[in-house]
Amino acid sequence: MDHLPPVLSVRGLSVRFLMPGGRRVAAVTGARFDVAAGECLALIGESGCGKSVLASALLGLLPGNAQTAGSALLGDLDLLAADERTLARTVRGRLVGLVPQSPAAHLTPVRTVRSQLEETVAALTATRSRAALRTAAEAAAARAAFPADHLDRHPHELSGGLAQRAATALALVGDAPLLLADEPTTGLDRDLVDRTVDELRRHVDEPSTAHPGGRALLMITHDLAAAARIADRIAVMYAGRIVELADATAFFGDPGPRHPYGRGLLQALPDRAFTPIPGMPPELGDLPDGCAFAARCDRVTDACATQPPPGTVACHHPHVPEDVRA
Amino acid sequence: MLELRSITAGYTRDAPVVRGVSLTVAAGESVGLLGPSGCGKSTLARVAALLHRPDSGTLLLDGAPVRHWRHRAPRDQRTAFGVVFQQARLSADPRLPLSDLIAEPLRATGRGEDAPDRVAELAPAVGLTPDLLTRRPHEVSDGQLQRACLARALVLRPRMLVCDEMTAMLDASTAAALVAAVEDYRAATGAALLAVGHDRTLLERWCDRVVHWDGLS
Amino acid sequence: MTCDAPAPAGAPAESAWRSHGPRRRSTRALRVRTSAALVAATVLAVLLVPPLVQLDQQAVDLAAKLEPPSWAHPFGTDDVGRDLLLRCVYGLRVSLLVGVAAALAATVVGTAVGAAAGALGGWADRALMRVVDTFSSVPHLLLGIFIVAMFRPGVWPVVISVALTHWLSTARIVRAEVLSLRSRPYVDAAVSGGASRWRVAVRHLLPAVLPQAALAAVLMVPHAMWHESALSFLGLGLPTHTASLGTLVQSARGSLLAGQWWPTLFPGLFLIVPTLALAGLAGAWRERINPRHRSELML
Repeated sequence: MDHLPPVLSVRGLSVRFLMPGGRRVAAVTGARFDVAAGECLALIGESGCGKSVLASALLGLLPGNAQTAGSALLGDLDLLAADERTLARTVRGRLVGLVPQSPAAHLTPVRTVRSQLEETVAALTATRSRAALRTAAEAAAARAAFPADHLDRHPHELSGGLAQRAATALALVGDAPLLLADEPTTGLDRDLVDRTVDELRRHVDEPSTAHPGGRALLMITHDLAAAARIADRIAVMYAGRIVELADATAFFGDPGPRHPYGRGLLQALPDRAFTPIPGMPPELGDLPDGCAFAARCDRVTDACATQPPPGTVACHHPHVPEDVRA
Repeated sequence: MLELRSITAGYTRDAPVVRGVSLTVAAGESVGLLGPSGCGKSTLARVAALLHRPDSGTLLLDGAPVRHWRHRAPRDQRTAFGVVFQQARLSADPRLPLSDLIAEPLRATGRGEDAPDRVAELAPAVGLTPDLLTRRPHEVSDGQLQRACLARALVLRPRMLVCDEMTAMLDASTAAALVAAVEDYRAATGAALLAVGHDRTLLERWCDRVVHWDGLS
Repeated sequence: MTCDAPAPAGAPAESAWRSHGPRRRSTRALRVRTSAALVAATVLAVLLVPPLVQLDQQAVDLAAKLEPPSWAHPFGTDDVGRDLLLRCVYGLRVSLLVGVAAALAATVVGTAVGAAAGALGGWADRALMRVVDTFSSVPHLLLGIFIVAMFRPGVWPVVISVALTHWLSTARIVRAEVLSLRSRPYVDAAVSGGASRWRVAVRHLLPAVLPQAALAAVLMVPHAMWHESALSFLGLGLPTHTASLGTLVQSARGSLLAGQWWPTLFPGLFLIVPTLALAGLAGAWRERINPRHRSELML
């Protein structure tokens, strides 16, 4: 897959908010990653670490007091430099499909799933005739494994799993090369989480005529088990920075995370040590000059008072395989 | 300490969401209630914490049947339970700074003068730093707010904690920290726990005994 | 490295930042400022002109009756030669007093009834809402006329009449808001924390609905002013010698047919302009208290 250029290429993406009183909040700093076709990158981190802001930046949905820097290339188009018109007409739905956080809130409550699918098909494709819209909407539902006999129901008549599939069906209508899933499993129980992410994975692998190599998926989540289930690569975000980019099998298996924060997150899982990382993440408006994790880290030294060098692991003292064996 | 006998409860007369459920929690015991979302386990948790009147069935508190719920329940019965809900945002009055949020039950029960001491004692126990206590809910993260909600549930020193999906919206580290804070409190006071959730791994690690929703009715 | 120290390492240079999002501030700010200026001017005129300017609004000058606007009389004069500008300011004073007093009274009654119905629930809720339904089944103006007719003409009967016909919508808004808040987990948490019914209502429910109620009150001021004018126009509100905007328009009816436009136009403008200004301010406030705009930082 190395010969293909990545679907999304993010370089130096930074987002800051200008707050009343001239305060600046650095929500995302210098994010750098690629997502290739047929690949799932999971962006993990705790709430408030900046991962949802990153997603909003990619979709051009930041509020008016936000400023961005860097680039996010989707093909030849820089998502960060594109104007609202371009984003609305060519990006959202057509180049980036959004799988939303709470599907029940994402669907219009007063209209049936069928009418919403037909509307989306009409908006995103050249389909116009009534019969063709109907067929296309049914095909879109089938792609997301949404049962055809539930199409005429309203969102409140659907279970959580079916609402999630309906929202996924909407995201797939435009046949976008990049899927962006923002906390797609929040509030679902374990079986449903597994089914939802498995279906997302299926959409990544499934080759289509437009995307023979499959789609690219950027999944933003705090659910480590969901990430472990489907991701190819993991990006760990802490205090607005991506502190580790790792292969998923290495991250969750052997040798494990190299950044102490990633290691701490895994150790907090109930099927591992179930011990929390001490302390709390720093405020994004008041970040230390050096490593933002230093205050909570058990490997801290004087070197941590400076910013760690950028790289796949942003740490002065990363775990190396020898550590683990020793 | 708490015994629920064939409880039927719901929000409309014809369609109960809980049908004939029985469950016992002994003093000092921790029970995990495992069930899929939407099965009615949250309603059962509200019945157990005297917040929702069941349509039928009996609830025994220390062997004596409970006859009144919500405001009609005697205050010392109500405050024997500390409750923590899934969504911290909705569980916090948006206008109260975190220190007032935590102290609110003390003020409501006429013990406002204890508030500064209790808040100063509880904040470190749940991992809140002093600068966070002056902020309002919209100025803190979900995890920080849920820590404050747990502190509020502990402030009256309840004999039993009811945690309804307390960690479902939180990252692994915050979840582990909150569970640790609950266990520290239980170790110090011998309080009982009813933890409701859908995560088998979490509940089996956390509780003495895990019961499945399907096995209760 | 850049020389300004505060930027964290790895952060982009200052020139690399670009702004996003809609920039629609200009017209909104202009709208708010214009509204605020007009409201301020109205309030100042009403409060300061009568005590400071020692002019008699009732001064009759039959030699100068029904004069069109001129430098001496910017708004012209009425059919007995009284200066219309002065009459309008005095009229606005009365209309605004009636409007504010009636809106306040209606909001207090409506909020109390709505909050009680929502917070208590059960039979109390049903009984209170039947009272609301009964009141609203009678046409506003008819009920208003009935109430004014029971008293001698004057300012306070009009206030009572307008207040008693206008608390219903506030009661409904507040009740709906309280009902939606009552099922929030934070109320459950308060109950579990030992809070009494009263404390839940006063400390947790009422403060949350107050912004809504206050907004309803502001929007009701112009509405109440219009009602006062309507009652006065029908000859049922204030006695005709008391200048209110309604009585001014009413007494100018005859001259309008004779082609004299100024005695109706200026009192009409005095009614419409403050109304629009108040509505503009209330609208801006509504946007502010909308929680979507409140949390600027989306984390």
